[in-house]
Amino acid sequence: MTTFPLPGTAQHPATDPDALTRLERFGGVKLLDEMITLFLVNARERLAATAAGIGAGDAAAIENAMHSLKSSAAQLGAMRLSRLCEQAEMTARGGTAMDVVPLLDECCEELARVDAWLGAVRVERST
Amino acid sequence: MTTIAVVEDNADNRLLLQALLGERYELVEFDNGVDALAGLSASLPDLVLLDISLPGMDGNEILARIRGDARLRPLPVIALTAHAMSGDREKYLAAGFNDYITKPIVDESVLIDAIERWLAKR
Repeated sequence: MTTFPLPGTAQHPATDPDALTRLERFGGVKLLDEMITLFLVNARERLAATAAGIGAGDAAAIENAMHSLKSSAAQLGAMRLSRLCEQAEMTARGGTAMDVVPLLDECCEELARVDAWLGAVRVERST
Repeated sequence: MTTIAVVEDNADNRLLLQALLGERYELVEFDNGVDALAGLSASLPDLVLLDISLPGMDGNEILARIRGDARLRPLPVIALTAHAMSGDREKYLAAGFNDYITKPIVDESVLIDAIERWLAKR
């Protein structure tokens, strides 16, 4: 199993490889590969929508984008990203759009790590 | 073949549902509420899986329109949502959803059992 030094804790790991094994069980390597592709496209779109929401002061748009990414990230085992999205979702719901800025930065950094992790998983599981 | 309408804006979630349900049911997919309501009226499915957070018209509004339409009203509608805070289940059932399944999907049997339960009641 590929492991990366992702930030997380023993109690709350950054990634959950079991989620990927589950997707393989649901539909084989083909489904896993397609899910990763769609997730990475979707994640970038949702982060862009969040940035646009911050620029426009549109808390509802931020909340929707982060809610969506929270769910997709968890389905792919990107648990830290999912938790960050949930924090951003709650922040947007309860505060102003600008309060989400530091969380969006963290989400972008975490997505880069998740991208590398999923890329390695792809290579590993397709061979 | 039993037809299930999937109303979900995330392509990855639609793909997952196709993998889980595609061999059992015919799925018709919609990524927004306007298209979903038009599609449901045009060809009545047997059941609806409805996301809550959708762009534009959200799942609650779609459900309200389904329940307000004489032809669509009897449709079983299952909320498929990442709204999984304490009290959410009760809130959505009280709003008129027949059942409530949370995302991410961890155990596919929970989803399939709920679908079969509501199809059996039709």
